[in-house]
Amino acid sequence: MLAAPDTQAIDLPTFHSVIDLPYTLTPGRATGTFLAEIGNRKIVGSHFASGKIIAPAEDFSPDDGEDVQTFVEVPHTGVLEGYTKVNNDVIGLIQLDGCDNEFAHIILADFETLAVGTRVEAVWADGVENSILAIKGFRPAPETPIGKVLPLGKPANPIEVIPYAMKLDYEHAYGPYYGRMFDEIREFGRIMGVRTSNGDDALLPPRERDDITHKRTGTWKACEDTGTIRGCSIINLEFIGQTRPPPYVYAEIVLDGASTRLIHMIDAESIQWAKDNVRPGSRVRAIWTKGERTGSLRDIERFELIDG
Amino acid sequence: MSNITHGGHVAIVGVGQTHHARRRTDVSQAGLVREAVDRALADANLSMEDIDSIVVASGPVLFAAVNQPEKWVVNAIGAQNKPVVRVTSGGGAGFAGALAGYYQVAGGFAERTLVVAYDKLSEGQLQYSISTLYDPFWGREFAVGIMGFSAAYWRARMDALGHTEEAAAMVAVKNRMNAIANPYAHMKKEVTVEEVLASKPLCWPIKLLDVPPISDGAAAIVLASEKVAAKSTTRPAWIQGIAYCCEADNAPERSLMLSEPLAIAARHVYRAAGITNPRRQFDVVEVQEPYSCFELNYYESLGLCPPGQAADLIASGATQLDGDIPVNPSGGCMGANPIGAVGIIRLIEAATQVMGRSESHQIKDAKLALVQSGGGWANLRGCAVLSA
Amino acid sequence: MGLSRVAIVASAQTELRTAWCDAQHIDLISAVVSSVFKGTGLTLDDVDFVIDSGSDVLDGRSISNCGFLGALGAHHKEEARVEEDGLWAAQYGVNKIRSGASSVGLIVAYSKPSESNVEAYWASQCEPFYQRPVGFGQRAANGIQAQRYLADHGTRQRDLADLVARRWADAAANGNVEIDALPDADAVLASGGGSAPLTGLMLARPVDGAVAVLLATEPIARRTSRAPVIVTGMGSAMNGHAFATRSKRGLVACEAAAAMALRNAGWDNAKPDIAEVSASSIVGEMMVIEALGLAPRGHGLDAASDGNISINRSGGALPADPIMATGLVRLAQAANQMGATANSVGGRLNRGLVHGAGGVAMQNNCVFTLEV
Repeated sequence: MLAAPDTQAIDLPTFHSVIDLPYTLTPGRATGTFLAEIGNRKIVGSHFASGKIIAPAEDFSPDDGEDVQTFVEVPHTGVLEGYTKVNNDVIGLIQLDGCDNEFAHIILADFETLAVGTRVEAVWADGVENSILAIKGFRPAPETPIGKVLPLGKPANPIEVIPYAMKLDYEHAYGPYYGRMFDEIREFGRIMGVRTSNGDDALLPPRERDDITHKRTGTWKACEDTGTIRGCSIINLEFIGQTRPPPYVYAEIVLDGASTRLIHMIDAESIQWAKDNVRPGSRVRAIWTKGERTGSLRDIERFELIDG
Repeated sequence: MSNITHGGHVAIVGVGQTHHARRRTDVSQAGLVREAVDRALADANLSMEDIDSIVVASGPVLFAAVNQPEKWVVNAIGAQNKPVVRVTSGGGAGFAGALAGYYQVAGGFAERTLVVAYDKLSEGQLQYSISTLYDPFWGREFAVGIMGFSAAYWRARMDALGHTEEAAAMVAVKNRMNAIANPYAHMKKEVTVEEVLASKPLCWPIKLLDVPPISDGAAAIVLASEKVAAKSTTRPAWIQGIAYCCEADNAPERSLMLSEPLAIAARHVYRAAGITNPRRQFDVVEVQEPYSCFELNYYESLGLCPPGQAADLIASGATQLDGDIPVNPSGGCMGANPIGAVGIIRLIEAATQVMGRSESHQIKDAKLALVQSGGGWANLRGCAVLSA
Repeated sequence: MGLSRVAIVASAQTELRTAWCDAQHIDLISAVVSSVFKGTGLTLDDVDFVIDSGSDVLDGRSISNCGFLGALGAHHKEEARVEEDGLWAAQYGVNKIRSGASSVGLIVAYSKPSESNVEAYWASQCEPFYQRPVGFGQRAANGIQAQRYLADHGTRQRDLADLVARRWADAAANGNVEIDALPDADAVLASGGGSAPLTGLMLARPVDGAVAVLLATEPIARRTSRAPVIVTGMGSAMNGHAFATRSKRGLVACEAAAAMALRNAGWDNAKPDIAEVSASSIVGEMMVIEALGLAPRGHGLDAASDGNISINRSGGALPADPIMATGLVRLAQAANQMGATANSVGGRLNRGLVHGAGGVAMQNNCVFTLEV
């Protein structure tokens, strides 16, 4: 189903890709107030006009979105309403005394020793602020008296920004088409695409079906490593994830023998030089990276101008 | 593609948007959504109980670290136990949300659908997260957001047509000026053509003043069927046609000059809405210009002028507030650019024009409005016609 | 103006595998898009719109549909990306055709969970301030949900394990699912990687795959298909965000979604002949069966076993959960089952119920009623 006549699935390892992004998240008033006070060992909850008390604090009622009315301070004790074990951690749902909701946290006890209905109390992590993990977890505390919800005098100003990071790793399968293409790049320094059903020019990158017609693509074809610029712009800004310092030229290049363009870059001494010398129609040649090829587009380090 | 849309059966009956800002540190994404929702419901004289279903739209989830955020903001909307779904389409997310909501009403799934769109761009790293749009195997490391290729296409257009950067600079001047009177815009900066041309190149030919701001903002509309529209307003903005079209990226013949998906969408929408001469018939136009050069492309792709003549159109003054086809009287993206919400903002600006209650610059006697929006690699594009 | 009736004309599904090592997303998508037309007499040219379901976080790519438009067959067509389970994409498609704006729609859903960390995918759906830092996610939610269910109803783990084993056998026989070795109840009970009291095999197993469903107006469907299956009702509903704050008595949003669908279909007290339902765990599946009205509270296991209604003949989501596509696979499976008997005299399956879900512990729910 997935292989064209002269394409076999190539036994390649997967392609590792990482998305690693920093963030600055705004928690909003209720959560921001909770996070501001948690370092003071105060657990802030929300009191709604309907009388409901929710902790940790929320701006909007989980049942129907009602707006929070005031903030309150809730006890450090409560009841374990449910729990499970995930890998080596015990995670449970706790309902703090005086509150109407349950919330999730870490349970500091062996799974086998627990029971639904057990009273629990917060265990604090020294020196942790601005995070729900200022509470290290909850441990069984059967003798503790039932605590009371108290008004929260003058709450600290809500934390406005919490730094955060998300790192996602991927192992992408090459598939038969990218597999062969990158194999040819690595082994022979040769860039291969596939012909379409209505022409000799190659689609690059190759795939089983033509993007426009959805018809099966045809046979493999080697493209040159020279080509023509179809579009270009001059990069002069800096951003996270950039691989070289500006200025440089962003170029969309159609290799000789191909029909579709690939994205790459051209060194530029200056913006003016690039404006004067690099334009749609300019001819370019691939400059391969020195040393062993790895089988990726980065085996071409950059392109440079050629005459004719 | 589809034949006709059943215009006249679905209307925008309430609108609301936040006062957009470079950075809102007083509300989370959920709080931002709530503001827009409260305003739209109030505007439509409705409460959440009157709403049958909700569509949430926002930019790519990597913009703000919460995956499938509709599942989080449902509490803020107060939509528990109602139908809620999220659609996304990059910059066109808001418009795609409106389209999905339109079909919920037109298809009989709902009598009233609330569409809320937002982005909180201050929370992430915009250029880097946009680069994750690209194929990880092929090109991601060389991509420069969407600025790199947008600038490349603009340059190719100029070369082919013999134009200069001045036409796009005029767009930037116009929209920045118009934004000043827009109470929801946050970038209010009057500039001259010379200042735009002299501003720092970011991805030349795109320069600093060709680029809209980065914003936190939300916007919401209430869509209603013919049956219940009158309960919200005496002057609904009827959707006479709405369409969204795409082009696959790996195309040898991808036009650098015209947006084919936009032209295709426009052809269908104009047929549904009875538009034969867009330049003459429309009273006002709202478009989503990720960079100033795009507005020129839209003039041609929407048929407001013949192909290749967008520079002449802007130079003639026709698209200014006092011209015969004012474009972006709200200031467009130059005033505020919470990317995922922009499609809804453009719809709100156009709807309030034909409803006679624009809070920016009311175009006198505006009855028929055109809206454009889109996203991706400029390969997801749509438009709509509104009338009152 | 009357609304058009919408039918499922055809469907196509790749084999569902723990890992499609020799295929990219576009290969799986292209395969089902080119296969779905076979035998219908329709082609991609006849398709007015494409609606696709996929996840940026699973795909490792923002606006991932943008890179897949060609494979989806969407070039120069109206395309929409629903970033939710594929049954919602089908819901959107049905609305478009009902409105009269279109007559033929292509719905596609796909994923390759093998390429990423699935736990991170679920965890990223929890808000980042209270739930994510403490490690709450899909496994924790399902474990606690199961603990509660077993305590409330006294359901025996062994009976659940027996049902899981049956689901796997059905998947191998009927579901086009790659399975190397069938687990028996003992293997289910002994499997690791669960969240107590659920064992690993009691949780839905993520798999790679793609599915396409072709929708059309009834007249077109009757021209192309011997047995078009009509969508007569749709409903959906979303619970509040945090699992900890949801009702303890059952899947309230699933009940609301079912009530909406049944009301729209005019079913009143009618019962379906077959049901294809999604689930995050075997206990979740029991709760869905109950929420759909197919069994009283606590008796989902009875309904799953007594054969009055054929439930999850495909095996359901437990052995094969192509996250983001699972509900659309259920739709395709149900339509196939009903289409296969539509023209027989006895044994005709007249009514089908389909369920899709999204989010941690099935926060979002979608229900379809089908009739021939």
